[in-house]
Amino acid sequence: MARMKFLCDAERCIECNACVTACKNEHEVPWGINRRRVVTIDDGIPGEKSISVACMHCTDAPCQAVCPVDCFYTTDDGVVLHDKDICIGCGYCFYACPFGAPQYPQEGAFGARGKMDKCTFCAGGPESDNSQAELDKYGRNRLAEGKLPLCAEMCSTKALLAGDGDIVADLFRNRVVRRGGRPDTWGWNTAYKD
Amino acid sequence: MKKIISIVFATFILSACYEDTRVTLHEPGVYKGKRDTQTMPAEEREALLKLRFNEVQTDR
Repeated sequence: MARMKFLCDAERCIECNACVTACKNEHEVPWGINRRRVVTIDDGIPGEKSISVACMHCTDAPCQAVCPVDCFYTTDDGVVLHDKDICIGCGYCFYACPFGAPQYPQEGAFGARGKMDKCTFCAGGPESDNSQAELDKYGRNRLAEGKLPLCAEMCSTKALLAGDGDIVADLFRNRVVRRGGRPDTWGWNTAYKD
Repeated sequence: MKKIISIVFATFILSACYEDTRVTLHEPGVYKGKRDTQTMPAEEREALLKLRFNEVQTDR
């Protein structure tokens, strides 16, 4: 069975933020919530690197492990989703997530948090596929339409890849071989700069 | 004598201090939400998504 994964190639990402815009537009994500962000290291310095980050749909998801109401589940495709009807917005998943993926809309006064929202790998939620309820709560379900996440599909440099982890890994491995070695994002020259 | 008592007392107090090196592990609970009924079987979707990947995400 396929396990859906994202991979961002730091050598190709040009920090255009089109993935962020595409995600917000496709799912009509409310103002103040970013399901996806582009993180840049050494911004403005020659050799800066950017990567696009969202929920990585972990195989052993920490958000799922810490949720006190057990609202997370993993689909047959390996996509980590949650049920907003039982989410209490406690924020535990936010603290557990190493990628800062869970987002919370501000509801009411005093910064009260609403139901958690995160990247769904364009797979919607537990509501019926492509129903209005699913669209309102979780956004579009592109996987049910036989499409992959829009952020990756429209990435102009093909830095962001989304699909079966095995196929994505093969594609990335071929790229690295073509480049004539490993990427410059890690190693002695990166870790121990003068 | 006072010095010995204070040393014994300090040793007793300090010996009670230790660091627990065990890591707290959380196991995911059983999902309690609504059942996600997919309109398409997982195998069919996998084949479809593989096709799609080769169409739109391969290197140029």
